[in-house]
Amino acid sequence: MKANYVIIGAGISGCSIAYNLAKKGVKDIVVLDKSYLTSGSTGRCGAGIRQQWGTKMNCLLAKGSIEFFEKAKDTLEYEGDIEFKQEGYLIISTTFEEDEQFEKNVELQQSLGIPARKISKEEAKEIVPHLNTQIIKGATFCPTDGHLNPFRMTDAYYRAAKRLGVKFYFNEEVKDIMVHENKIEKVISSNLEIYTNHVVNAAGGYAKEIGDMAGVDIPVYAENHQILVTEPIEKIQSPMVMSFSKNIYCQQVPHGSFIMGRSDPSVAHNHCIESSWQFLDEMAKTVCEVLPLVGKLRVVRQWGGSYTMSPDRQPIIGDTEALEGFYLACGFSGHGFMFAPMTGLLLSEIMLKEPSTIDISDLHISRFKNKQVFTYEKSVV
Amino acid sequence: MRIKEHPILNFKEERKVIHFTFNNCPVTGYEGDTIASALHALGIKKLSESMNLKRPRGFYCAIGNCSSCRMIVDGEPNVKTCVTLLKEGMDVKVQSNKGEIYD
Repeated sequence: MKANYVIIGAGISGCSIAYNLAKKGVKDIVVLDKSYLTSGSTGRCGAGIRQQWGTKMNCLLAKGSIEFFEKAKDTLEYEGDIEFKQEGYLIISTTFEEDEQFEKNVELQQSLGIPARKISKEEAKEIVPHLNTQIIKGATFCPTDGHLNPFRMTDAYYRAAKRLGVKFYFNEEVKDIMVHENKIEKVISSNLEIYTNHVVNAAGGYAKEIGDMAGVDIPVYAENHQILVTEPIEKIQSPMVMSFSKNIYCQQVPHGSFIMGRSDPSVAHNHCIESSWQFLDEMAKTVCEVLPLVGKLRVVRQWGGSYTMSPDRQPIIGDTEALEGFYLACGFSGHGFMFAPMTGLLLSEIMLKEPSTIDISDLHISRFKNKQVFTYEKSVV
Repeated sequence: MRIKEHPILNFKEERKVIHFTFNNCPVTGYEGDTIASALHALGIKKLSESMNLKRPRGFYCAIGNCSSCRMIVDGEPNVKTCVTLLKEGMDVKVQSNKGEIYD
C-alpha cells in the first residue's frame, strides 16, 4: 500500500499530529502502533496538565496546549467527557535555593502570560488544608493548570482524525524503514509494507529504535517511572500538589482517587515498565510526609511506564537534517501528554512548510550538536 | 436468621452478646461476628450505595475484595465490614457516598 504520511505511534502525540495534518487537508495519512491506542506512555501518565515550567519553550508549549484543551470537546466534536479540571497546580518549595529558583520561574511564566504566582505558606494551606506546611518554605500556584483524562483525550483526537480520513492500524509493529539516497522509500511493519516518503517518529519510549531504523541518531533514552492510585473518596484536594525536592506529584482525580508518582534517581535506561514494592514503600513515605491525611487511604493499584528523556528535558520537535521527510516528536521527558495539542499543530506546520505559530527552532534536534549551549529544564519529577 | 444445628460444625450454646448501633439504632450481635454477619443475621441487607446511581449494595464477596460492604464505622468511612470483627459499642452506618476523611 501507499501513504502520503506514516505516523509511528498512536499515543496522544501521534493522534494529535494525524488530526492536525488531516485538518489542514492532507490525505492518505496512516498511523501505526505496535499495540493499542494509548498503550504506551500516554495511557500510563499521571494525567496532569501544567504551565509552570522553568524554560521558555516548555512554558509556551504548555500554555498553547491548555488553551486548546479548554475548547477541545467542541473543537474535536467529542461526545464523551474529557474530564478536564482546571483547579491548579500547587508547587511547593522546601529549601531556600528552590524558593529562589521558583521566583525566577514565576517571573518567566508571568512574562509569557501564564497566570502563575508566588504564594505564602498560609495561602498554600488555604488551597490545600491537609498540606504539611512545616516542611515548606513557600509555593507557587497556577489556577489554570489541572487534570485531563489521557484515555478520553486521545480517543477524542483519534475519532476526530478518523472522521477526517486518517487510517489507524493497531498491533502493527514497525520493523524497518527503508531509505534510498537520503529519501524514505517504505515502512515495513508486522503485516504491512507501506510506500511513503514521509515518516513521523512519535514512538514515545521507542523513538530511539525507530530513529536507528531510519539511520538517524536521536539522543533520547527510556526510563521507568511509576505511579500508584488509591481508593476513591469524596473530594478533599483541588490542585495537583508537587515538589521537586521532595520528589512527588499527587492529585485527586475527578473520580475521587488519588494518583501519585515520584522518580527513582538510580533508575536504569531501558524499556522496563514494571512496578516495584520499593516504589510503593518510598511513595507511601513521601506522601505521608507532604500530605499526611492521604495516608489514611488504601492503595488499589500501581503501574510503571516510560519517560523518554532528552538531554535538556525538553521535547525534540521538527524535521531532521540527516534524512529528508523524517520528522520527530519525541523526547518529551515525561510531559508529552500535556504538550500534545501544540506538538500536533507545530509539527504539522513544519511538515507542510507553513509559517509557525511559535518559533520552535530551539526544539530542533540540531540543538544537541553544540553540547554547551542548551538550557536545562529543572522542573521535572 | 442463624444456623443453630449443623452436621459438622458445633456452635457454642452461650455466646457473648455484643451491643452496637446501626444507623443510630441500638442492636446486638454475638462475639465472633463480623460487622456484616451480625447485620445479615438481623435481616439488614443494604450496607452501602453504589457510587453513581446510588443503588443499594449489600453482603457480597464476604472476603474483603468487592467493596460492596464498605460502611462508616465509628466515623471512619470505607471500612470493609465483612472482614472487620464486631466490637462492643461500635457505631455502624450505611455509607452513601465515596467516604469523607478528616484530619
